[in-house]
Formats: sequence, C-alpha cells, structure tokens
Amino acid sequence: MGAQTARLRRDWSPYAIAIAFIGFALLPAFKPPAFVESFLYLLFFWIALATSWAIFSGFTGYVSFGHGAFYGAGVYTLANVASHYSFWWGLIAAGLVSATLGVAIAAIVFRTRLRGELFALLTLALAIVLATIILNTPVDGGPGLYLIGVSLPNFYGSPASTLYLLIMCVGMMSLATAWFVQQSKLGRGLFAISDDEDVAEILGVPTYAYKLIACGISSALAGIAGGIHAVFVNYVTVSGTFNLEVPLFVLLMSVLGGARSWIGPAIGAVFITLLNNLFVSGDYALLIRIGIGLTLVLTTLYMPEGIVGLFHTSWRRKALPLTGSQTPSGHADAPLAASIAPARQYQPTGETLVRLEDISLAFKGVRALDGVNMEVRKGEILGLVGPNGSGKSTLINVMSGFYKPDGGRIFLSGENITALSGHLVARNGIARTFQIPRPFGRMSVLDNVIVAAMFGSEQLPERAARERAMHYLGFVGLDTRAHALPSDLNLHQRKFLELARALASGAKLVMLDEVLAGLTPSEITSAIAMVRRIHSADTTIVFVEHNMRAVMELTHRLVVINQGKVIAEGDPRKVMQDAAVVAAYLGTSDAED
Amino acid sequence: MLKIENLHVGYGDATALSDVSLHLDKGELACMIGPNGAGKTTLVNAIARLLPIRSGSIAIEGRDVSRLTPQELCDYGVAIIPEGRRLFTSMTVEENLEIGCYRPAARGLKQQSLARIYEMFPVLGERRWQLAGTLSGGQQQMVAIGRALMAQPKLLLIDEPSLGLAPVIIKQVFETISAIHASGVSILLIEQNASKALAVAQRAYVLDCGSIIAQGTPQELRQRSEIDAAYFGAGN
Amino acid sequence: MISATLLGQSVLSGFFAGCLYALLGLGLTLTWRYLKVINLAHFAFVLIAAYLTFQLVGKNGLNPLLVAVILIPVFFLAGVAQQALIEHYKVNEFASIILTFGFAMIAEAGLQWIWSADYQKLEAHYMRGSLQVAGLFLPISDIVMSLVAISLCVMVWAAMRYTWLGKALRASLDNPGIAAAFGVPNRKLSYLVAGASGASTAIGGIFVALLSTLAPSQIFSWLGVVFAAALLGGLGSPIGILAAGILLGVSEHVTMAITAPSWAPVVPFTLLMVILLLWPERI
Repeated sequence: MGAQTARLRRDWSPYAIAIAFIGFALLPAFKPPAFVESFLYLLFFWIALATSWAIFSGFTGYVSFGHGAFYGAGVYTLANVASHYSFWWGLIAAGLVSATLGVAIAAIVFRTRLRGELFALLTLALAIVLATIILNTPVDGGPGLYLIGVSLPNFYGSPASTLYLLIMCVGMMSLATAWFVQQSKLGRGLFAISDDEDVAEILGVPTYAYKLIACGISSALAGIAGGIHAVFVNYVTVSGTFNLEVPLFVLLMSVLGGARSWIGPAIGAVFITLLNNLFVSGDYALLIRIGIGLTLVLTTLYMPEGIVGLFHTSWRRKALPLTGSQTPSGHADAPLAASIAPARQYQPTGETLVRLEDISLAFKGVRALDGVNMEVRKGEILGLVGPNGSGKSTLINVMSGFYKPDGGRIFLSGENITALSGHLVARNGIARTFQIPRPFGRMSVLDNVIVAAMFGSEQLPERAARERAMHYLGFVGLDTRAHALPSDLNLHQRKFLELARALASGAKLVMLDEVLAGLTPSEITSAIAMVRRIHSADTTIVFVEHNMRAVMELTHRLVVINQGKVIAEGDPRKVMQDAAVVAAYLGTSDAED
Repeated sequence: MLKIENLHVGYGDATALSDVSLHLDKGELACMIGPNGAGKTTLVNAIARLLPIRSGSIAIEGRDVSRLTPQELCDYGVAIIPEGRRLFTSMTVEENLEIGCYRPAARGLKQQSLARIYEMFPVLGERRWQLAGTLSGGQQQMVAIGRALMAQPKLLLIDEPSLGLAPVIIKQVFETISAIHASGVSILLIEQNASKALAVAQRAYVLDCGSIIAQGTPQELRQRSEIDAAYFGAGN
Repeated sequence: MISATLLGQSVLSGFFAGCLYALLGLGLTLTWRYLKVINLAHFAFVLIAAYLTFQLVGKNGLNPLLVAVILIPVFFLAGVAQQALIEHYKVNEFASIILTFGFAMIAEAGLQWIWSADYQKLEAHYMRGSLQVAGLFLPISDIVMSLVAISLCVMVWAAMRYTWLGKALRASLDNPGIAAAFGVPNRKLSYLVAGASGASTAIGGIFVALLSTLAPSQIFSWLGVVFAAALLGGLGSPIGILAAGILLGVSEHVTMAITAPSWAPVVPFTLLMVILLLWPERI
C-alpha cells in the first residue's frame, strides 16, 4: 500500500468501447435477420438516452424528468429542419437546439437553490409545457408530422441498416462521452456536487458552471438520439414523443444499472430492452411490466447502487481487506514523532493577510455577527474563541464564502473578496475544515483529497493532484486508508481527512473549525503537534477551538467573540486575564453582580 | 431521585462519556458544569433517552430506565429543557405548552398549568397565539421552561439555559429555576456559566473530556483548582 | 369572445375538477410533508379503489355507501403496510419515488390484466341528473364529490389545528426527539397518517368510478396536475391543496374555453414553474 499502488490502474474501457464500436459497425455486412437489427436499434436508442441522462442526473444526483423534453426537442427539430434542408443539417440542429434548451433551463433553474425533488418536479412541468406549446404551434400543427422527403445517407444499401448504424454511433458516442466525463476533472466535480454540493463549492468546484456544462452535454446527446428516432418512426406526434415513457425508462434503466457509473445505465438499458422485447404478445407484455415494476421495487430495497454497485462493493471488499488491527492512535503517533521541535516554529511578521471590516450577518432577525473588525496576519496561528453560539462558526462560514455577509467587506492580501462565490474564494487560497466532518461519502479517502488538490488554489492536473493527495494523507497518517470509504473511518480519522483536504488545496489560509472536539486527550496531543507542523511561513492558520490548553499552546494571537462581537484581541495570556473574557466564559463579574 | 452508575456513551467510534456516575436526591438541585465539548449535553440526552447508551445504568426512584424509549421515560415524570430551547417553531406558544402536557397524566391539568405558566411569564400570555419561532431568545427560553413545567415533572433536566441570552435575561432565568426548585421539583442543571450554576445548586459535578473530574458542594468546588484548569488550561 | 354562460360553466367545471384534485392530493400532500414519502402509488391506490367500485357497484349491484364501508378500512391497512415497508427498509425521500413508481407499474399491469386496457364507465343509478341554476348545469355527482372533498380538507385542517393528535403530529415534524421526550408517539402517528392517506384514496377512487370513465393508464395522467396542486398549496396544507386545486382546475378550464382544449396544461404548469423559481423556499 502507499503511493505506488495509488497510481492509476490501467483502464481498458476506451479500448473496449472502440472494439465494440467496430464490431457493431460491421454487423450489417453479415446480413443479420431484420428482427436482430431492429432490436439492436432499440437497444442503442435506449443506451443513448439512458447514458446521456446519467451524464447529468446520474453524476450530479439531480434527477431530471426533463429528458423527454430534450429528446422531444430533437425529434421535432429534425422533423422540421430536415424536410427543408438535409438530414445532416437536421441532426446538427437537433443537437444544438436541445443543448441550448438544456443549458438555458439549467442556467435559470440553478440560480435558485432548489432541493432535488423540487428540481425533478420542475423538469416534469417543463416537459409538459413544452409539449403543449409544440402541439399548438406550427412546429407540430396538431395532427403530427410525416417525414416524407427526408433523404437518408445510405450505408449497406438499406435504410434499416443505416438507421441502426446511426443510432449505434450515438449510443457509442454517449458511452464514450460518459466514460470520458467520469475520468475527467469535470466528472470529479460532478460527483463532488452529488455527494455534498456546498462542500464542493467551498473546495473550489465551480458548481454552477459544471451543472450547466453537464446538462448541455446530456441534452445534446438526447437531442441527436431524438433526431434519428424521428426518421425511424417516420411520423411524429406530440403524444407519442412527450409521454412519460422516455423520462421514466431512462430513470429506471439508470437506477437499475447504477446511475453513478458510465456503464451502469447501458447495463440497465440492455436488461430492460431485452425484457421488453422478449415476448411481444399481450399477456406476456403485461407480465413483463409487472416484472419491471418488481425489479424497481427490489432494486430500491436491496441494491440502491444498482447492478454496477454490486460489482463495485464486491471488488472493493476483495481488493482491500480492512486492516482491523490498526488503531487510530497508532496513525496519529507517526506525525507526532517528527514534530518535536516547537522551536522551529515560524514567527509571523505582522503583515496583514486577511482583513474583515465591519462584517455583520443576521439570520431571521438574530444578529449572528455584529460589526466584526479583525485581521489575520501572514504566517500566524490566530485563535478564535468564544462561548457556544457566539458566532465563531458563522465567521468562518463568511470568510470561506459559504455565507455572504449582510454588510462589511473582506480583503485577502488587499483584494476585496467579499462578493466572490465560494469556489473563487477557495481558488484564492482560503480553505477550511468543518466542525462535523463532511467528506464526500461515496468517494474514497484518496479521491476526497484529490478533489481538493485539483480544484484548490493551484488547480493541479490529475497526476500531480494524486501525488499531492497521497503526500498529505501520509502527513495526517491516513495513507494506509487511502482506498477506504469515509464511512469506514472513525471520527478522529474523518477529522484528519478534513485536514488533509484543506492542506492539499494549497491554501494560504487554513481555518480549522473545532478539530479537537470529540477527541480523547491523547488524540488531542497528537493533533496539536500536527497543527504545529502544518503551520509555516506560507500557511497561516485560524484556529477555532474550545479546548483552552490547545489554544494557549498553539496560538500567537487570540480573538474572543461573544454575541457576534469581538470583545478582546491580542496576546493569548493577556486576553485570558481580561475581565470581559472571563465573564463571557465563567459568568463572574457580570455587570449586574 | 436520579442515580447514574458507570455510564458510557459514544457516537459511532468516538467516546463521549466514560464511566460517569452521579446521584441526585429528591428535591435537590444539582449542577453539572464544565467546558464546551465536555459531554454535558450528551449526558442530558442520554438521561432523556434521546441517545442510546453503551453500558451502565440510569435509575429514577430506584427503577432502571436506561433501556426505555423517551416516550416511556416521560411517564416517570421526567421533563427536559433542552439546549438551544428546541421549540416547535412552526407552532404557537400555547401549542408548544400544550405538547408539554401531552402525557395522559398531565393532560387533565392543562388549564391550571397554562394559567400558572402565564402567571409566571405574563409575556407568554400576551403572545400565546404567536409562532414560537418568532419570539426573542429570552421569550423562547420561557416557553421551553413552561413547556417542561406543563408536564408536571418530578425531575427536571435543564441544559444550558443561559446560552445566547443577555445578562439581565440570564438573571431572570436563574431566579425562575430557583423558584421551580423551591416548589419541590428535583433538578439537574447543566451549565457552562459556572458561577451562576454554583450559586443556585446544592451539589455540583465538574465534567471534562467525558468524565467527572470533581464533585462536592459548591463551596468546596469554588476553592478547587480543577475548575480553573478545565476552563483555562493547566499552567494558567 | 366567449359568452358569459360558457365562461361561467367553465369556471364551474374547473371548480369541480379542482375539488377532485384536492380529494386525490390530500393524502399525497400529507404523507409527503409529514412522512417524507413521495407516493406515486397513491394514484394506483385510487384507481384500484375505482375499479373495485366499478366491479362491486356496477356488476354486483352493491350500494356505493356499503362499498365505502368495505374499502375505507382495507385501504387504510394498505397505506399502513406500505409505510411499514418504507420504514423497515429506511427508504429515503428520493428512493420513495422509484419504489412507489414500481408499485404503480405493477398495479397498472394488474388492472389491465383483470379489467383490460379499454375505457369503461360505471353504469349505475346513483347521483344522476343535475341542477340548473341561472343557466348553468351543476351535476349532482360533482356537487356531492365537491362537498366531500371540501369537508375532508376542512376536517383534516381542523384536526391538525385543534386536536391532540394533530398538534402532536406537527410537533413531531418540527422536532421528533423533543416531541418524543414529552410523550408524543412518533411512529404510531406516522402509521396513522399513512393509513388515513390510504383511506382517502378509497374515497377518491369511489368518486372517480362514479364520475368518470376508467382506464388503467389514468394512474399516471393525474400525476402532473395533482403534484402541482400539492406544491402550490404548500406541502402538508389541506386548505392549501384545496385552494391550489381549485385555482388549477379553474385556470385549466377557462384556458380551454378561451383557446383550445389542447392548451389546458400550459397555465397550471407555467404557474408551478414560476412559483418554484421565484419562491423555492416557500415549499
């Protein structure tokens, strides 16, 4: 275990896609029976739709019922354009119109922070409205459109083979795109959004832009598939295009196969298309529908990650037997040994790194921050203390761009960053940990840290990010658990995972929100040693903590907050003698006593 | 009234309380002080059965309650004033109070209890139709106290009643707690504000890092250095 | 321009349609808000009840009131059973959509198996005829259905506001732990809500059978508009879904009268989209 094995395993998927593509492209040359070709047509039609749906909805977790609308937009664009120009222009237009529609809708919808199930409903409503508009305008005209006079390109001398070949290309293109996205930086960002969108943004993922891009790719592919299908059915109607079949089947296939994997939806599509076409007579068709319904029920109850999820978990179990003997304190001791040199500790110069001017923020009328003025100096460890509910965590949230203040300004190295969104704050070099660890639950420990390294202030490419991530996992003593899931870690380890993420982002300022809470005294000792090691000329630390021993040992300066206001600031020892601070903590010498 | 022996509580892998033992006589007011993160709220939630325990026992009037559901515990006459009030914010003040006497034994006394609470806190009477979430912090604390009193408790668990309140309100809250105690209710008071808590309690415990590190009468504890140590770190 | 009579008649039929939406959506909005279950099988329950009514009243000649007495407890138990399954497997809000969609598919296929995919109409002598007021037709069956829908919504609203159970339920939604500490039986209440929602589908189903033609595919045809009503009215609000249902129904029918029937869906769904985009926190 360690950095060596963490390198990418060779991925044969693109070769498999290429070989399958060649094989399926040559198939018509062998003159297969017509029913095989038409079955394969349907198979690739559904693979294209399900896979393209998953590129947005599966990867980000935003379930959309609007895929039928994007598909339908493609159907009608081709039907209208191809009769006037040519098939190819029609197909290009179908992709473009659907992509534009997808991006435009995402751009409007994601301006608001819509919960997942409301997003699903919104897309459902959208599909219905679009269908109604098409039905009542010359796009359809009411009775539907015949695609006469659309001349297809000719492959293998038969229209059926040509259509098969076209849809096969789209299906394969969808698979290749899904694979590529999953491997890419975009994919990592999308998975991060799916696991915890707020944390993704704070770690530097441009969540808004990524959702738009993914929605655009997804709807473009659906539109192209729709365009080809328009020629296949030859007569398009609103009721035949915009029914619930497409949105529900793509959801069903993806859930069954595994929506978070590039191949999962295709597996689901094969399964369902086979079931749907095995028997065509009436009674069997009903049985099949019952079978699909049952499959859905059982999938939800017994394998929420889909068929691919089953393989995934068994692979994970085989490849990585959990090493039960390792105790958490054992990890934490390792960095401790290397850090018995407090004398080397860097002494800050007094130059200002971050300045807060008159920051205030209220929630539902309660003033959480009330005119906070303070500064963080380059290279220092600044302690931020105060009673429960005094506003410390809120202040961290404001400084990391998580909340926008109602008033006041924040400067980082002299630049006003008050209005920047979270991911830009992260890129400017501010990182934080969360008091209650918020790891991306469905990513390995290593992948959690890679996201931070790729999207942080240095925007590292994949390979460098991986090395950086392994370095910091080693630093916090989690390198042996690199491939575990966060849920396999204990609280102490999850806190260190938070720390590794913040460090791997390459931040100038690291804000630690109660990293010691919930740790045992010996764990606290090792954690203090680790904070000391993190700290350097280039890494300034804001240390929010209740444990006063740790605060006294570590900090250069102390800021005390009470009821949203700074009540004392300065040398830790002097500050703790301050009457107001003692009052805030112990309640003695209150004004009325 | 309340006797806890060798209580262990943990969240997942983390240990929050280890080997905590304490007792509270009938009619007594005991306080539990200690710094943030010491495990005070965990203790209250474990007693109120809102958290599962790992081992140890909790007995009320000699009967073990450590495996009961919160609902069953309620019938033993235990009521809670939780940290951060935790009111039913989308319900009115009066509805919050009514839920306080949901248990059948207390339900019959609803009208008397309401009258008593409104007498104690006239402002709640004026605002009885207002949504609890729209009250000020001090008024919310009054509702939380009132809600617990509606249950006709024999044992009252009070968690950080001074949290986030202005000094003048805190003073009023502690006067109210003394008055409730004087009416014969046994009280376990959890408080970060040590001097306030020690001023009203008859017995005190200090909790730090999940264990009880000191106990005795308030007078005894005031003399001892552990409290200072727990708050400000050794060597101060 | 359309005549005043036509406008009045379409407002009226929109009102009746809206009451039916509320009747079908009442249980849905309650379970969504209080149990975090988005129950697509709700409409399957409605249609199963409707077909059973069609069979028992139309073919076996039973009185609809007797059928109600039989079906209501049965569907109460069905609601409880589904909730027990959901709680046992800890199905979350999103997965509940897929799970209950699976149930709905099975139900649709089952209904088609037994009663065929054809449209069928209950031929019986209950609630025939209509009143005529100021030139407007008021079918008696619609009047009865609307009265039942309105009184159910009002009763549920009153129960939530004035009874111990209703208050306990709201408390347990706000803060289940603390509610339990004061003796509120969270789990029993959730079964009660699920059961009541199930029972409401029996009532809805009986009226659907008496009022309209039946086809198994209708399970999915109500979905859009009833969801829209539930969200517009504010989840969990019985008066809200009544008002929103009527608003949607009237706007649909007036749109149909002014333009063409095919434009009907535009108004409610545009309304829904606007509300989702402008006030997402309201829902």
